[in-house]
Amino acid sequence: MISSQLTGRRLWIAALVVPPIAFMCLFLVYPILSAFAYAFYEWHGLARGDFIWFDNFHRVLFEFPFSERTINAFKHNIFVFFALMVLQNGLGFILAYCLWRELWGARFHRIAVFLPVVLSTVIVGLLWKLFYHPLFGAVNATLRAVGLGSLAQPWLGQDSTALTAIVVANAWHMVGFPTLVFLAGMQRIPSEILDAVRMETESEWVKMSKIVWPLVAPSATVVFTLLFVGAFNWFELPFIMGGVDGSPHGATDVLGLYFYRTAFGSTSASAENFGPGSALAVLIFLFIAVVSSVITIRLRKREIQL
Amino acid sequence: MRKSVESNTFRTFGWDGLIQILLIGNSIVMLAPIVIMVFSAFKTNAQIFQSPFSIPDFTNVKSILRVWNETDFLLYMGNSLIVTGASIALILILGTMAAYAIARYEFRGSGLILLFFLAGLTLPLKLAIIPLFIQMRDFGLIDSRLSLIFIYVATGLPTTVFIMTGFIRSLPNELEDAARMDGANEARIMWSIMLPLVRPAMVIAAIQNVVPIWNDFFFPLIFIQNNNLKTLPQGLTTFMGEFGTDWGVLFSGLTLSALPIIILYIALSRQFINGMTAGAIK
Amino acid sequence: MKRLLLGAAIACTSLLSATATFATELSFWTWRQEDKAEYEKFFADFTKANPDITIKFEAFEATNYNTVLSTALAGGKGPDLMMTRTYGGIESLAGAGYLMPLDDNKIPAVKGFSGAALASVTMRSNKTLYAVPAASQTMLVIYNTEIFQKNGITEPKSWDEFIAACEKLKAAGIMPFANGTATAWQNETIVSALTSSIMGKAFYADLMAGKTDFNDKRYVEALTKLKEISKYFPEGFVGLDYASAQQLFTSGMAGMFAGGSFELANFAKQNPALKMGVFAAPGLKAEDEKLVGLFFDSGFGANAKPKDEAAAIKFLNYAASKEFAQAFANRLSNVSAVPGVTFDSPLLAKVAELNKNSIAYMTLVNFRYGEPTGSNLIQAGVSKLLNGQATPADVGKSMTDGLAAWYAPFKK
Repeated sequence: MISSQLTGRRLWIAALVVPPIAFMCLFLVYPILSAFAYAFYEWHGLARGDFIWFDNFHRVLFEFPFSERTINAFKHNIFVFFALMVLQNGLGFILAYCLWRELWGARFHRIAVFLPVVLSTVIVGLLWKLFYHPLFGAVNATLRAVGLGSLAQPWLGQDSTALTAIVVANAWHMVGFPTLVFLAGMQRIPSEILDAVRMETESEWVKMSKIVWPLVAPSATVVFTLLFVGAFNWFELPFIMGGVDGSPHGATDVLGLYFYRTAFGSTSASAENFGPGSALAVLIFLFIAVVSSVITIRLRKREIQL
Repeated sequence: MRKSVESNTFRTFGWDGLIQILLIGNSIVMLAPIVIMVFSAFKTNAQIFQSPFSIPDFTNVKSILRVWNETDFLLYMGNSLIVTGASIALILILGTMAAYAIARYEFRGSGLILLFFLAGLTLPLKLAIIPLFIQMRDFGLIDSRLSLIFIYVATGLPTTVFIMTGFIRSLPNELEDAARMDGANEARIMWSIMLPLVRPAMVIAAIQNVVPIWNDFFFPLIFIQNNNLKTLPQGLTTFMGEFGTDWGVLFSGLTLSALPIIILYIALSRQFINGMTAGAIK
Repeated sequence: MKRLLLGAAIACTSLLSATATFATELSFWTWRQEDKAEYEKFFADFTKANPDITIKFEAFEATNYNTVLSTALAGGKGPDLMMTRTYGGIESLAGAGYLMPLDDNKIPAVKGFSGAALASVTMRSNKTLYAVPAASQTMLVIYNTEIFQKNGITEPKSWDEFIAACEKLKAAGIMPFANGTATAWQNETIVSALTSSIMGKAFYADLMAGKTDFNDKRYVEALTKLKEISKYFPEGFVGLDYASAQQLFTSGMAGMFAGGSFELANFAKQNPALKMGVFAAPGLKAEDEKLVGLFFDSGFGANAKPKDEAAAIKFLNYAASKEFAQAFANRLSNVSAVPGVTFDSPLLAKVAELNKNSIAYMTLVNFRYGEPTGSNLIQAGVSKLLNGQATPADVGKSMTDGLAAWYAPFKK
């Protein structure tokens, strides 16, 4: 009786957990494990060739022209990460602080700042591409309207502005996310603590740096880690705004684009190359995994110390 | 004493004024592009180029009608609805099953299973696109909506299990125990007693998944080639190439694709904000 | 037991297919979705002549076609017949053994094709033909004849006349060229369309003979002139994408578009009222030979293991016939690769006429066989040149050095 009940319970639990686990294994775990294996083979189109140890890795890291492109793209990812850190997370923190004061209209501003977040990257990319149009775009039109016509530029066409222009579009799209995560963190600060501080000092700066910032540190950890992962996985926005080749002349090329182009080829320039493509995927994956764990552990430690 | 209070109120007032200005300025920057997009949908090319910021004649719906009648917009929209709807349904069913088992039963390996799902949170599936492509080819799922649905379910499960497990754990035991005393079986307890209680968490989990799935561009780009199966974001890029000559139509296309989710968001902003930040806030 | 069943099943199916020869259905794949209706007519004609064979048309999106095709072929699910890419694009399929090798025994008509056409679908390593060349594309200057007439401009005969024509249009408030280079490959097309005559036949011959490389002063001169004439591209053209550039031309805001003959059908569709002409960009002096850039963009090939080999070869013979080519040219606006075809459209007839004096669209034709491709290098190089970040000599050097990674004649 008891044993049949037990097996019945076991069967019931198995019936609950096995299907979801199977899905995860089949469409997430298995492909990722295979991606690691694939990087060690030679590829002829989609047909797998010989096991070639680390040759693919060697090619993407040390052999011309792959190495040059890898380094170029990697540098751009680093730039994107730091630029978004300031434009997106920095601004997000300031906006969160402003919203936290609960001034008149705060609810409206909260809804407004998060509105672009729900739009798809494709819409955002295409919209901003039209705005940046050298002849008819709204950005140049605005400059001309306020008498700064001399500053009008082909924003997406020159390497001095192209990547920054895309970063700005990304910041516009996503700034609402860190804002509201920080805001939630601030709202969880107990009011007793704030009252106590108010007795001590009038300075907003002291309040901010000594109390608010340390107490929202857990939110900061999450937001920084997500930004890091996002910045090194960046694909859709540069793909739509700069094209698969990272126009102009690779100035907007990032690892995600470069990986896609290497793996699947680009009709206007080169054929698909699964070997180096797989090696790139593994390298990007390891880089993101290692660095984001380090960031998380480091930042968590700091939270505890405070 | 009074003086200090006065200076204090003045200071707060000035400080708040500054904050208010910053917030208003930011909201303008956030909303202006969307307003320009919607306005431009009602303009001709010449009006867009010459006066991009003017308020249009809202009765001029020529461009919008062109998008509606001459493009596959509705087809793309329908495909997005099918793919997103099926994915969300599967994610909620499978996610709740796993979360319920982990949260309500003590069994060996439950911690490990939770950890397995949590690890999935950090795996960027995009990078496994090559093996995934070959796997889908072997399953005969290239150019099929099922390929997208399966991928979205696999990527959506980790956060869903995470959110649902936390919520289900927080539910009280009393009802469940009472039902068990009455001899109800486990399936019945789950279905008629516990599930009605987890609905709020399901809404959060659904929203958290709806936005990225509805908006996804990468996987359709790889797996869908047949125009009849394209989802909205992917169809939009095709369409932008075809109608590159008419900016009124381009902006109409963007407006029409953005509008459903904008309206839904305005109506349910609290749920959207809670849902989309749920993974990042503990 | 299982094996026995399987054997029986195979025996049955082979028996079936043997008895079913009276109605072989072959599949045909292409990336030209828009040509479906016409192809179905071609196939009906073919079936009329060969009642035992029917052909089923299937099209895939151009940007994904290579991936779809190679995936299917690798999985043994490829089509019996297909439109193939050319040059490096066909080698990756042929090299993997997916395509049926052809020769003039199987398809006698290929003897009459031009060497350049056959080279586009021949694998370099074993000198074997893998497809019947289908159509060529020409890099040239497309112009708006009404704008030219209104401003009293005729097709320029020398570089100075070319510049003078641009000045005249500019003074009249019309953009001389519609071209923009924000879309990477547009940096490559303009080189061939605008400067083939300046490079000259001798340069191309020397390059192919391994006597010179892209540091050659004829090539550097060509890039210098390209930079010079880019002054007449729209303001901010480096940020102007391909679709916008096409729009400027079809809407009549610009007088010329430097690009490929594949634009013609597209432009006519965008603006049916548009009156267009084409010319080869001139050389420096009026007496220099005017050249266009030429490449073959497609071929008809067969699966190495088709359902019915004889039927597939029959179709390829049909594709190489003048009868088919004539319809292929007139009904689908292709400059067919089959010799002796005449054109109903005066514009296409002019393109075919210009093709008689041409050099290859070399970065695509000769330098897409290894990494980095000539296309990669010239797209990046010209983009830098037009952005003022490299000199013409720098671009020539970067191409030569880059190609040296795999192109033997450039290796030092």
